[in-house]
Amino acid sequence: MTTATATFTYSHTVGFLAYRGRGFIHPIALALGDDGVMYVLNRGGPESVGRLEHKRVCICTVDEGYIGEWGTGGTDDGQFWWASDIARAADGRIFVTDEALQRVNIFDNEGNFIRHWGEVGEGPGQFNRPAAIAVAPDGTLLISDGLNHRIQRYTADGEYLGGWGEFGAQAGQFNTPWGITCDADGNVFVADWRNDRVQAFTSGGRFVGQWGTSGDWKGQLNRPASVEVDGEGYVYVADWGNERVQVFAPDGEVAAILLGNATTSSWAEDYLAANPDEQRARAEANLAPAVNPWRDHHREASAGIEGRFWGPTSVRVDGAGRIYVVDSCRHRVQIYRKVVG
Amino acid sequence: MTSMQNAPTTPGRIKLADEESNRIAHLLRRAGFGGTRAEIDRAVAQGYEATVEELLHPELQPDLEIEDLIRRYHTDQNSLMLLESSQGYWLYRIINSRRPLEEKMALFWHGLFATAYGKLNHAKAVVNQTHTFRRNGLGKFADILLELSRDPAMIFWLDNKDNHKDAPNENYGRELLELFSMGIGNYTEDDVKAAARSFTGWTIDNAEYMSIRASRDSFWPYGRIDWQFRYRDDDHDESEKTFLGHTGQFDGQEIIDIIIRQPATAHYIAGKLYNFFVSDRPDESAIGDLADEFIRTEGDIRSVMRRLFLSDFFADESARFARVKSPAELVGGTARLAGSHRTPEWTICNLAMDVNFMGQEILNPPTVEGWHTGMEWIDTGNLVERINAAGAEMRDTSRPGVRAIIDRVKSAGDVQSPNQLADSCLNAMGMFEVSEGTFDSLVAMATPWSEVRFDREDTAACAEERVAEMIQLIVASREYQLA
Repeated sequence: MTTATATFTYSHTVGFLAYRGRGFIHPIALALGDDGVMYVLNRGGPESVGRLEHKRVCICTVDEGYIGEWGTGGTDDGQFWWASDIARAADGRIFVTDEALQRVNIFDNEGNFIRHWGEVGEGPGQFNRPAAIAVAPDGTLLISDGLNHRIQRYTADGEYLGGWGEFGAQAGQFNTPWGITCDADGNVFVADWRNDRVQAFTSGGRFVGQWGTSGDWKGQLNRPASVEVDGEGYVYVADWGNERVQVFAPDGEVAAILLGNATTSSWAEDYLAANPDEQRARAEANLAPAVNPWRDHHREASAGIEGRFWGPTSVRVDGAGRIYVVDSCRHRVQIYRKVVG
Repeated sequence: MTSMQNAPTTPGRIKLADEESNRIAHLLRRAGFGGTRAEIDRAVAQGYEATVEELLHPELQPDLEIEDLIRRYHTDQNSLMLLESSQGYWLYRIINSRRPLEEKMALFWHGLFATAYGKLNHAKAVVNQTHTFRRNGLGKFADILLELSRDPAMIFWLDNKDNHKDAPNENYGRELLELFSMGIGNYTEDDVKAAARSFTGWTIDNAEYMSIRASRDSFWPYGRIDWQFRYRDDDHDESEKTFLGHTGQFDGQEIIDIIIRQPATAHYIAGKLYNFFVSDRPDESAIGDLADEFIRTEGDIRSVMRRLFLSDFFADESARFARVKSPAELVGGTARLAGSHRTPEWTICNLAMDVNFMGQEILNPPTVEGWHTGMEWIDTGNLVERINAAGAEMRDTSRPGVRAIIDRVKSAGDVQSPNQLADSCLNAMGMFEVSEGTFDSLVAMATPWSEVRFDREDTAACAEERVAEMIQLIVASREYQLA
């Protein structure tokens, strides 16, 4: 996991399975706040009445402090149904896309609902499953419009500014795009999910380049869900279908492949301490057993080996060299560190 | 295919299409979840025998093409941690699979080797077992039993993880003989004991930790962990055993080899297949025919199924509409017909709940004996649920399957009398055989409308609504509730 210039090492895990309160249930994305604060968006599911309250934003810190939660499932203002991504603007406003309600909710930094916008359709500004959202350096919002196979740009108040893309596999075309991010110059990176690649564009939407072909070899991608770029030009891809995160160096070479190294978080340790028989049996168990050959597939390996990523849906980096991987089927966030030099 | 002018060929039954079309519609109801009119037409064009072969080789068709979309949009169906999520996942497969017999076989084996979430508290483990049925469901019965014996869900379900060399647990050995292969009366208690001893050491990794988690339904801290089969040589009873007249230092595989050579096994499995695919009423002659094929092919299920689908007893008119659709068949088949859920929709959980309300919690059968089928699917409450759910599925005229039915009805004539409307709706739905009573009810419903007109702008929308009402009544009919 090293290159000449950077090393990526596992740090620790934040999270615990919880329907409410201190923990996550099928987290799908996170936004980073100031001072290590994390806003973890829980998709929850299925959408039965008794489970709607699982859909929420949990606020905690990277060093495992629990701050609180807001939001719930439903169709009213500020409620979530298929919440898909979360982004935080410099002024503290928080944006949440919803693929079922075809809208973007805006909240203040405390989680108070401000307004929403969006309607279903194929026309300019309309949505068909708005998947991911990114705040550009100029404060505008970029949204991957999943089943319309395009990228759209809006003001922070939801005014449509333009967009690009259509269904296809050529440069600049998309197939069910998911993750989206910008670098400091406003260049746009899109996880072109069903095309198994990441595409890069200028801020104006001109195609610049792409990473990945279909497959599970080094550098190949299988349904990439999320993309992030750090200040030095390293590109982080949540290689969802391959159950891993790949880090590409600025020269395009694979700098690291992360499979997941989760350990028990302090929240998990609290649970185990309260359940000593389970704690004892767990301590004696092999949590990385050999996976039965007939299930020797990335997903099945992740289902059987607890420390591995299972459904990594979002990857984010902060200015301190921390890499956050949302481990959706394991209800946690795995934290890595980038060490330069 | 032309309408047969409502000519009754058997007392009280009206046929609306030629015999080949009727035969193929029957095949698609039994070997799958019913055909849309387009699917029936395609099958008629390629012929009955070719359609049977296509069904018998699901591996030649693409696997579920929206699997990635399901897992993307339903994060909970990626982890399959919860029972409702897992039931929804299976419904997606039933609705969207291009391998209908593969799904039907999975339902069959799931009913026979009934393994329930309720004891395991591990939905994905049961889903994994159904994948075993998909992989092997049309293969050799010996392979199915071997895979089943190594399946972690089954090992947990029938306590084989507690079956030790120095303390045998007979649960799996007993059910293997009684419910899974030979049937009661064809073996002795000593045979049960010998089978149990032969399967000692067939367990799962981390059995104690997984047992504690299951017993308290703990998915903490990070969700369920897939169970892995493990053979523990140090816990296997290698001593000599006598089983069904054979003596040796048997292990589980050798026990299975002996079981599949028993005529009782052939007859037992043939009877189960007949009951599931042919009729709720047993026919010893037909079952004997299938058992002979089982013996001739050393338990090749594909061959037995080919014999079944090509048999006279399957083709006989008395076999048609002789089975009550299970809730999963009814709900999944209706969604296929309506064209709903071709891309992931959150409402899949409602469909899964419909199946539950009708009395079939897939992945969570009530006992090791599975479900009581046939007329036991029907009681007053269930029937109302079945009719309401099927009608609701067909109500939305924007759904592609409903739209296709309406378009085909329209193509039958710009102006249709009540009799013609009933005929064209049934034809468009691939319902080529109904009782006179059902047909008369449809006509009676349409009689107050006098006629429906698709040719005038001011009546076209209303005419389409009339079609939607008619097809909702059709899915409430006796014939639609049967297969």
